Amino acid sequence: MRLRRMLAIARAEWIHNRRDPRSLVVIVVLPVVLLLLFGYGINYDLQHIPFAVYDLDGTEMGRSLIQQFQHSRYFSLREVITDRRRVDVLLDTEEVVFVLVVPPGLGRDLGAGRDAKVQALLNGSDTVRANVALGYIEGAILDYSTKLGIEFARHHGLSGTTPFTVHPIIFYNPGLESDNFIIPGLIVLLLAVLTALLTSTCIVRERELGSFETLVASPATALEIMLGKMLPYAVMAFADVLLCIIAGRLIFGVRVTGNISLLLAISIVFLAASLSIGILFSALARTQRVAIFLAFLGTFLPTVLLSGFVFPLRSMPAALQLISKVIPATHFLVVVRSIYLKASGMAVLWPLVLILAVFAVTLLAIAAKAFKKRI
Amino acid sequence: MSSLAVQARGLSVKFGDVTAVAGLDLDVKEGEIVGLVGPDGAGKTTTMRVLCGILVPDAGEAVVAGHDVLREPDRVKARIGYLPQRFALHPDLTVNENIAYLADLYSVPAGTWQQRRDELLEITDLARFANRQAVQLSGGMQQKLALICTLIHRPEVVFLDEPTTGVDPVSRRDFWHILYDLPRQGVTVVVTTPYMDEAAHCSRIAFMHQGRVLAQDSPAALRAAITARILEVRCRPQRTAREALKRYPTIEGVEVFGDRLRVAVSAEADPAAIRRVLEEAGVTGLDIRESAASLEDVFVALAVGQQSQEDDSRAGEE
Repeated sequence: MRLRRMLAIARAEWIHNRRDPRSLVVIVVLPVVLLLLFGYGINYDLQHIPFAVYDLDGTEMGRSLIQQFQHSRYFSLREVITDRRRVDVLLDTEEVVFVLVVPPGLGRDLGAGRDAKVQALLNGSDTVRANVALGYIEGAILDYSTKLGIEFARHHGLSGTTPFTVHPIIFYNPGLESDNFIIPGLIVLLLAVLTALLTSTCIVRERELGSFETLVASPATALEIMLGKMLPYAVMAFADVLLCIIAGRLIFGVRVTGNISLLLAISIVFLAASLSIGILFSALARTQRVAIFLAFLGTFLPTVLLSGFVFPLRSMPAALQLISKVIPATHFLVVVRSIYLKASGMAVLWPLVLILAVFAVTLLAIAAKAFKKRI
Repeated sequence: MSSLAVQARGLSVKFGDVTAVAGLDLDVKEGEIVGLVGPDGAGKTTTMRVLCGILVPDAGEAVVAGHDVLREPDRVKARIGYLPQRFALHPDLTVNENIAYLADLYSVPAGTWQQRRDELLEITDLARFANRQAVQLSGGMQQKLALICTLIHRPEVVFLDEPTTGVDPVSRRDFWHILYDLPRQGVTVVVTTPYMDEAAHCSRIAFMHQGRVLAQDSPAALRAAITARILEVRCRPQRTAREALKRYPTIEGVEVFGDRLRVAVSAEADPAAIRRVLEEAGVTGLDIRESAASLEDVFVALAVGQQSQEDDSRAGEE
């Protein structure tokens, strides 16, 4: 292992990237674009759900209920329907998620002390949105009912209380904002894909250009070549870690509650593993195009589907959970979320760091071996 | 310590069903310039790759620069220089950056190679382009740069695979001036070339055909060894003459070289009889003169001899 040979290879790779404008796109533009796309695209918090109102009652009671919806930040009134046919049109065209129907006689029934029913017509084709909307509707109605009940009791000289209420204290993400959950995951996804993409072409490109023959004819060892190739990309990927953390803070307002230095240190271990995956693809592929394709699919899909980024691992079948364990991003995801949200330290995280280190060494060894075979 | 820079015995390389090198033997003495000559597909490049330690042969062994290629490829690699047929430097690096890259890869002590670099840049007239990217150099200049990179670590043996292909005649001459100078510095040169005039300048030539070395000797000795006489025949139409000669006994081979036919005939052949045959065939403007054997003639004779031997042995098997 000679440092000088490794640095020579690193230097050539660095110069190549400096002179190739496409590298800049992958290193700077891609992470920002993906962060914006996914950051804004994936959001479980529904606010300003569009709805319409079809008031068949027209009494004070109905209007007051509608006002309750109007003043909530969760709902946004789009139309007050007067024609029955508009109900179907609005739901069909998805202009609204639901239509609140106030049946005739609502005010009368309530005044007479009878149960009154409000109808909600939901567009169920988007189940996630419909479910969330339904939850909000029920919450809003329940709120309003309780308020009415208390008022009613007071009106009759009784103490108005609600028998049971839950008083939740939510740890780590008090606002239960999904950005706090998604952005750290997104950073992991971005890094997993970017690192593999960055290194995926570095060896196969030399193969295509012919400079590969010079490299293998030289006394440089496989390990020197691997490490030399990785070094410049490790620097770039590390810059991307910083870029993601800063962008997450500035654009999405997600802050790291834990130790940022620790997060950066552990990310280096993850980067080593992830860059090795790209190098492995580069050593195996025969053309740059195939290498890029493999690197993208080979990191993007497993990270999105199996790392716990979107779908919780605990609800997966045992076989899939097992597969998820051999994806470095799975472990790094836990680290990043823990440091971001729970301010965890090494006392808790060390087993994950150890696993990541094992991944890094193993993958590098596999890549070096795959490379050696092709000389 | 042998005085052989390269010693190969029974090298064989197969790519699937294709045999690229078939039991090749080759000896190169220290300080020689040996030309590997042969048609495309003769196995020249494959042989070089094996000798450079970047391709593992299916059979055989080789010692290069005092080390076994199979057992100690890294020691061999450190002591040799290899210039592949295809441009194999970094196109986006400048001339100087490429040279520095190679100096680093071969661990040339810092501070010693810069002088060598300047010297080589001077000889090759590339000094003016030291800061130009390799991709912006002409084909000839790229090859010169590749040669500099091959020599920067003062290798004991250099392998040059068609270094002058695509290089203009003037640059070719410069190129060979550098090569001629190498043995004086104790460097052994193994070079492949498709140009027979270049091969003639080697101290020895190894003729390769179908993965084997058919003959290796000095150009003069090879020319002397040819038993056939060469007649140069000018006439029209060439095609008629060729057909007529091929049917005639004592004629060993007919090759077309521009406006002439080079006819290899056995020692006892009678030029006068050949003239009669051609006249009877109806050619015009006939001119026959005896010529000294060229390296092409030697090569054709060897290849034809090899072919007929194989045909015989195949016929014998059947």
